[in-house]
Amino acid sequence: MKVPSIGTLSFGAVGLAALVLIAIGPPGSRVAPPPPAPSGPAPSSVAFGGFTLTSDAVDLPLDDQQYPDGPHADVINANCTSCHSASMALTQPALTADQWKATVTKMKEVYKAPVSEKDIPAIVDYLTALSAKQGSAAPAGKESGSQGAPDASGGTG
Amino acid sequence: MDKLDTWLAAQSSRRRFLGQAALGGAALAAGPALAQSLVDLHLPGGNAGRPMTSAFPGKGSMILQRMHPPLLETPMEVFDRDVFTPNDQFFVRWHWADIPTSIDVDTFRLTVRGHVNRPLSISLAQLLRLPRVEMAAVNQCSGNSRGLFQPRVPGAQWGNGAMGNAKWLGVRLRDILDFAGVKPGAVQVRFGALDQPVVAGAPDFEKALDIDHAHDGEVMIAFGMNGEQLPLLNGFPCRLIVPGWYSTYWVKMLNDIEVLPGPDDEYWMAKAYKIPATPGANVKPGAKDFPTVPINRMIPRSWVTSLGEGQAIAFDQTIPLGGIAMGGDCGVAKVDVSTDGGRTWYHTRLGPDHGKYSFRRWDTQVPLPARGNVRLMSRCWNTAGVAQPMAPIWNPGGFMRGNIETTNITAS
Repeated sequence: MKVPSIGTLSFGAVGLAALVLIAIGPPGSRVAPPPPAPSGPAPSSVAFGGFTLTSDAVDLPLDDQQYPDGPHADVINANCTSCHSASMALTQPALTADQWKATVTKMKEVYKAPVSEKDIPAIVDYLTALSAKQGSAAPAGKESGSQGAPDASGGTG
Repeated sequence: MDKLDTWLAAQSSRRRFLGQAALGGAALAAGPALAQSLVDLHLPGGNAGRPMTSAFPGKGSMILQRMHPPLLETPMEVFDRDVFTPNDQFFVRWHWADIPTSIDVDTFRLTVRGHVNRPLSISLAQLLRLPRVEMAAVNQCSGNSRGLFQPRVPGAQWGNGAMGNAKWLGVRLRDILDFAGVKPGAVQVRFGALDQPVVAGAPDFEKALDIDHAHDGEVMIAFGMNGEQLPLLNGFPCRLIVPGWYSTYWVKMLNDIEVLPGPDDEYWMAKAYKIPATPGANVKPGAKDFPTVPINRMIPRSWVTSLGEGQAIAFDQTIPLGGIAMGGDCGVAKVDVSTDGGRTWYHTRLGPDHGKYSFRRWDTQVPLPARGNVRLMSRCWNTAGVAQPMAPIWNPGGFMRGNIETTNITAS
């Protein structure tokens, strides 16, 4: 049932473009009407070859979620809500204190989060307590702490 | 940029028109907003509930992993409807929170610079006039399915939905590089984008490919996705497409191409997205100090999509079963399925071939061993002869999961 692969469907190569391209009317005649705008001028667009790109402007939702109450919640809310949502931490599996410390240290040293050194223990304590509250879930890789190596993990992908 | 201008002038003087790409209308209407509803990603060890959201521009109903910067996962049932993932339910992953929310197609420029003879500043009007290619390709996050790792690892806790398949329309990176004229001695090409870190001194997100890879004629710059312009959150106005490679290289909002006379030694290539230099990127849980390499080619994967985890069905002697598969860095050769936890395997019928980098549908009719709990599995072989292993791998980054996945259902 193997069908010859058509991984690349080429509409023309540099050298062959003139042969592949089909002459018709000016590109402007092919511009699709821009989407209706409730107010103001229509967004600008560029078009060629049957394809139109229209300027885009969006509003991203704002996240006002705070870390749940608990010891040092004020510290983590003050330090760890501007660069990323609280959900980034709240969706993590149960991690050990060492793993949380490695993560917070990575945020500060690699990603340059403006966290003062004196706040780190409170943040780690808060997050470790959060993991403990996840119940019977076994801490991930608790024998290792290797996940803390900033060169190999976390915050990516 | 005399060469590019000359070429474009020659084209426009002929008033050439590129035949309209016959792009399938893959986009399916998204369901109504499911505000406040929860989805269970069935991650081992718990903490697996995630809200659904329709609050993001250009996006329908998505699994909310993180609002800021956005991490949005595609629900598995989307993959059962079509091998092409609709743009409004295509997964979203941003590293830094400073994401431009407005793109002007008149002023946007894609620069090509560095170790080249003719630095370029390419407008979108010019980009649209270059020779086009279209390719179906799976875009999968390096950490897709990280939440299924055992022991669990830190990072975005994705289920299986940090992936999608689209028909990408754009231009070959090779053509762009040839217009710029790569100088002898070029080693890598680095790709930068409009998004920026929110704090000074943090590493800007940039990725690099070897020059031969960048010049292979498959790597492309896409401005079209399933027949439409890219949603802003998927990288409007253009992004890099690196077929067969993990999504970390598919730089969104691509605006800078820099040819390097040496390897990229910045953070995102030298330190992040590194995998163990071991077969299958597998190390013993807790291992450290192993040699690493940048993540690269994808591996075969497959999923049952016609039934969901935990679903209850009426018992029957045989049931229809369907799903999707990907070959990774090559095509899908075959997919087998099991209904008894991997003891007995049945062949499946592959759906249309949309190219070796695309998802491929599979379907079959399989017997059920007995009433009660049933463990459904699917196993993909790619055209290079690589099959999904039964045993999962482990590495501290939670990258490259590819073992046979199990879907547990109840037949009564």
